[in-house]
Amino acid sequence: MSAEEFAVADTCFLIDWAYWRRRNVLPGLFRAVFVPEEVLREVKSESTLEWVAENLATGSFALFTETQDVVGFARAVVERSRMLPIRGVDLPEAVCLAIGKMRGYIVLTENRGALMAADALAELSGVRVWRSLDLISQAFRRGILGGDPEAVFMEYEEDTGHMFPPGGVEGRNR
Amino acid sequence: MGGVLSRGIERWLRLEEEAREIRRKQADWKFIESQPPRLRIALRLYVEAGDLYVASRVAGLTVEEFNELRKRARIPNVC
Repeated sequence: MSAEEFAVADTCFLIDWAYWRRRNVLPGLFRAVFVPEEVLREVKSESTLEWVAENLATGSFALFTETQDVVGFARAVVERSRMLPIRGVDLPEAVCLAIGKMRGYIVLTENRGALMAADALAELSGVRVWRSLDLISQAFRRGILGGDPEAVFMEYEEDTGHMFPPGGVEGRNR
Repeated sequence: MGGVLSRGIERWLRLEEEAREIRRKQADWKFIESQPPRLRIALRLYVEAGDLYVASRVAGLTVEEFNELRKRARIPNVC
């Protein structure tokens, strides 16, 4: 099985995505989405916990217990990111980036620091980082979602208090 | 650890400044200023830095709890 069929979700992503009315699109995109224990600890609302637990029960989500080697690599990423003139990453996002590097999983995040680090740090080369914008676009490409993409992006913004760059995926590299 | 790739740094800095301006403009400052000190300071930090995790730690809330506060303060998550 390809590691690309697995993803790992960081806290900012999971909490944002959980408020979207079409949140159940996520399990259809991957064989499993790993949720680090650190991320699970940040979830408090009954609605989000229920959704996560349902997906853990069906196997769409899986718990990821952080190991010493992952945390060690993540701490090095935190330090390296702080040497750049752009926003750094903190340990929770760095753990997901480390998992992305070490296990080949796609990293799901809404943290721009994580995007910057993956783009700018040589030690994270090859790590694939997707935001909700990228996931929704993938869902349309794979036929999991249909209809007007712009309307769906607007729905997501409305449900989550999110703001996508103008022009959707194409607009992100303005 | 490897070296820093210089490409893209300027683009990220520009995108960060654009996102910061959007958060500043759209935030409900009346709501923010009406909050207790710890929450007010954390919301201001979020407007400037856009970092949900760090702001939640300053607020003394979980990320999910702070995200709810962010929405009530009408600060968009620009990513």
